[in-house]
Amino acid sequence: MSASLAPECNEVKERYDSCFLKWYSEKFLRGNASTDECEPLFKEYRSCLSRALKDKGIENMLEEARQDMKENDTHHLRRS
Amino acid sequence: MKVFASDCTFDYSWEEVSTANWRKYCPWNQSSTHVIAVDTLSRGVDASTGILRAERLITCQQSAPKWINALIGGKDTSHVYEISYVDPESKKVTMCSTNLTWANLLSVRETVTYQPHTSLQTKFTQDAQITALCGGWQKVKNSIEDFTVERFGQNAKRGREGFEAVLEMSRRVFGEQRERQQHDSMKMAA
Repeated sequence: MSASLAPECNEVKERYDSCFLKWYSEKFLRGNASTDECEPLFKEYRSCLSRALKDKGIENMLEEARQDMKENDTHHLRRS
Repeated sequence: MKVFASDCTFDYSWEEVSTANWRKYCPWNQSSTHVIAVDTLSRGVDASTGILRAERLITCQQSAPKWINALIGGKDTSHVYEISYVDPESKKVTMCSTNLTWANLLSVRETVTYQPHTSLQTKFTQDAQITALCGGWQKVKNSIEDFTVERFGQNAKRGREGFEAVLEMSRRVFGEQRERQQHDSMKMAA
């Protein structure tokens, strides 16, 4: 798996990524996405990453991009 | 504005491609070494459609020519924000991305899709719109756009080669895992 931009988050990211990949291939693609066993790991990873994004000043850039990219949801978050 | 578009077919099923896509930039990929980190910002399944939506932040090692770096005060890394949508029912992956770094100077909007071509093949399409936003001479804008399109094409080619390597490794590892599982269950049964 790929690294995190914050080296201190690498360990928890690795565990989350493995969990996600297993969930994706074994559950989500087979139509069993009702449970999400990776959520606790994701929360842990996310809180580590949030600190790094703030420290590196990336959070503000991200917020702008999120606003600009919002329209994509209208096109892609629906059944075609 | 300039447009870069390409498409190709991978000789792997959509399930294999859409799974391997999540680890496209792992160490198995020796061709896209400019990508140094991939972080997940959010992910969730939309309750009404069943579509998986994930936001990621991709960090790249900067490799712009000196004149561009000098123009805008270069940093050594750049960032891309990406939203992925996966519809498991219609079997479609759509990824939309935009550059975070140099956003005042340049807008690079990319859309990538993966869809089944046959049951054993997957079709990939890529479309990028590149627009220089800075004021000033048209000549400078054109040079920035031309350079970005060229670099985009190089990275797309490398990305494809690297992804092929990831697909091959994924299939091999998955095959070995399955063999081991079968072996273990046979041992248990014996």
